[in-house]
Amino acid sequence: MLKVEHLKKIYPKSDRVAVDDISFELRPGEIFGFLGQNGAGKSTTIKCLTGILPFDSGKIEICGYDIVKEPIKAKMNMGYVPDNHSVYEKLTGREYVNFVADLYNVPTDLRRERIERFAELFKLQAAMDRQIAGYSHGMKQKICIMAALIHDPKLWVLDEPMMGLDPQSTAEIIAHMREHCANGNTVFFSSHNLDLVKKLCHRVAIVNDGHLVDLFDLAGNEANKANLEEKFFRITGTYDRRLFEDYAAQESADMRPDLPLEEESAHSDDGVSNPIDGDKPTEE
Amino acid sequence: MKGDISLTRVKTLFKLDLKSRFGTTHKRGVKYRISQGLNALFFVAVYFVLILGMYFLANIFVERSKMLFEFLTLISLATIVLASAIATGNIVKNLYQNGDNEMLLRFPVSGKEILLAKSIYCFLHNLIVCVLLMLPLYVTFGAVSKAPVGDYFAYVGVIFLSSLATFAVGNILAVPAVKLINIFKNKFVVVLVLTIIIVCGIFVIYLLALSNILTYLRDSRQDIFSPEMIAKYKAFFGGAYPFRWYADLLSGRRLGSLNAGGLALRFFYIFLMTAALLAGAYFITSRAYYKTILYGVERGKTSVSRKTKDKRTSVVRALLTKEFYLILRSFNYSFEYLAMACAAPIMVFFCNRLAATMGTDTVGGAIMPGITIMVIIIFITVTVSFASTCISREGNCFYMTKVMPVSFKTQILSKFLLYSVVATLSVALTCLVTGIVYTTDVGEKALSAVDMAAIWGISEILVISLTSLSMAVDIKWPTFNVSGDGELVSANKNVAIMLIAGFFFAIVFGAVVMVTNFLPLTIGDWMVSSRGNLGNIYLLLTLVSLLLLAGSLSALFVNLDKRYNKIMW
Repeated sequence: MLKVEHLKKIYPKSDRVAVDDISFELRPGEIFGFLGQNGAGKSTTIKCLTGILPFDSGKIEICGYDIVKEPIKAKMNMGYVPDNHSVYEKLTGREYVNFVADLYNVPTDLRRERIERFAELFKLQAAMDRQIAGYSHGMKQKICIMAALIHDPKLWVLDEPMMGLDPQSTAEIIAHMREHCANGNTVFFSSHNLDLVKKLCHRVAIVNDGHLVDLFDLAGNEANKANLEEKFFRITGTYDRRLFEDYAAQESADMRPDLPLEEESAHSDDGVSNPIDGDKPTEE
Repeated sequence: MKGDISLTRVKTLFKLDLKSRFGTTHKRGVKYRISQGLNALFFVAVYFVLILGMYFLANIFVERSKMLFEFLTLISLATIVLASAIATGNIVKNLYQNGDNEMLLRFPVSGKEILLAKSIYCFLHNLIVCVLLMLPLYVTFGAVSKAPVGDYFAYVGVIFLSSLATFAVGNILAVPAVKLINIFKNKFVVVLVLTIIIVCGIFVIYLLALSNILTYLRDSRQDIFSPEMIAKYKAFFGGAYPFRWYADLLSGRRLGSLNAGGLALRFFYIFLMTAALLAGAYFITSRAYYKTILYGVERGKTSVSRKTKDKRTSVVRALLTKEFYLILRSFNYSFEYLAMACAAPIMVFFCNRLAATMGTDTVGGAIMPGITIMVIIIFITVTVSFASTCISREGNCFYMTKVMPVSFKTQILSKFLLYSVVATLSVALTCLVTGIVYTTDVGEKALSAVDMAAIWGISEILVISLTSLSMAVDIKWPTFNVSGDGELVSANKNVAIMLIAGFFFAIVFGAVVMVTNFLPLTIGDWMVSSRGNLGNIYLLLTLVSLLLLAGSLSALFVNLDKRYNKIMW
């Protein structure tokens, strides 16, 4: 579905190799997690495989089509959700999704059915005919996702897709990722949410400083699942036993700090004097 | 905390405002410094030309027509009206529409402190505008009318008083202006039509005024204005309150119309008027500011609703429609492009009429074809320069152009098609209007049908050439410097490059036609051109235009994929 071989990318006027010799292959029907710290090379890799950035060497194939030699065919099989939810904000939601559908030659009846279904799924029915400029952060993200899925791509690429989404929408996207893969398609997404990756992905790759350091199965491998956080911390060079133990403890424990002892008057039934509201507590 | 005004917080907010506008004082590169230097040089050059023009005008009124007081009143009226308009625009932009309002509201600062900090900036901005606008005019007046040194001090005082009054007027007008903007902001077609009418109106008034001055210059060698006109001017400016008070203050004593008491009275009038305006501004702004910005924060994002059908269209049509909507639904873009393209025929017509009047008075009607082609190319350039932001305008959505399964060639072609169609139609309409007037008795048959056909043909070739050249320039040097609403922060250097290139062609083409129609050109025994016989010259210019077209199309389309792919985002 997606094959990346020895990918290398150096930004112009920069000595630093942003992505160095990254190779991996995605199978049909799998959800693949792409992990790494900020600046590790995740977004650069994604931008290279979506055709946004040219790369210096290596090869990227999408559904057997080389992104350099046959870019149109390769892109036809891919849907991309960017991390910054940038869309043409002067258009209405419907105009934007139809514009994208036109680019992918989606027939009228199919797009009508999909727009209706996604609008309902993401609770965007009332907003579809409004200009995107008036959308909230989460709504823009949802319209990006709708546009990326309007042609039912074989490969769905998402760059940190859950950022800024409400819990219900996050759950809907996760459900849709699962459904998409169940139909034989592939999902490739980058995330900082290790817990989500652990629960959702079949396989995961961890990049650090432009290199792919580890790639392993999560599905059916309980040890990898259990050790994901530790592996991530070790690979990214941020492992510190005490900090990691704190992190692990936080994952399982209740992190809510205890409330300071409140004045008795604050609990009084009349509720007149409450320090939280900024009133001075009455002197006894 | 809210409600009290802390001067420390006001100072911090003011400093923050300045830093966000002018950046930090860190060392910048040589390129940046050179570009800043060139900008400053350009500004000085434009300013110098304005001062020269003003010196010329002052001479007409003061030296030749002896209308010192009327000229001073005219200066006061024009500068105060202009400064008030600039102040209103600046206050609307900075006080009510600035994107940082929402951010500032989150800080532990009161609305009054934000208002005060921003008002200080707006006042200083207005003071600088008033000084730049009024000082050269008053100094020019002083120099021409041989004013004593004391008058120059009075100019400074009057400029300061004017800046207070215009600042107050700006504050008062800003609130209704914001309300009007809110009403019309999503009525794109109405805004476009209004913009075209306003642009044409201002341009026509300006040219008619200039034309009148030039006519008077032509008609009267010694006395520029006829006695009737002088009487009219005197009556008008004599009753031009409150602007004549400023003129009284500046020259009443010298011209003998006022004694010391009268002068003090005029000062008192101005003082009272300014105080009343400032009180009114304070009253309106302090009551309206918080509500207006809250409206902007809460409902500013209320956007247009438009029901459309889910229907398949071709890729090119989808790209064209998207591009057109992005232009139409942006006030800045529709003004820069659609309004200019629609207004071009009217602007060219009036410009041509003025140029024709000037030209025929001095060197005769022979320069008409040259002037026509020059004016048309100048306006084409202004319209077409919009294409030199075709990639930059994509802003944060540029990634879309890389991700979509449509070749870069098709994407660029669709943009090229839209710009070419709009510009071609604009040129055709411009030539039609010019042709109807100047090839008939209405325009004294100043142009022949051959002239007009050739000018039209050459202009159409040039419009396509300049469009493709503009796009090629932006593919080479795109700048994705967009504001919060996704629009370009300001015109980039590509626009400047294209304006310079277009004006160069306008001057060269215009000069060639003018000179060859004026002076017959022969090569050996072959008469290349003579008065009214410019066929060969037109042919030559057509060939040059075709070469330019071939070159610019190559610059745009050859190796397009490779160049487009290199654009970093």
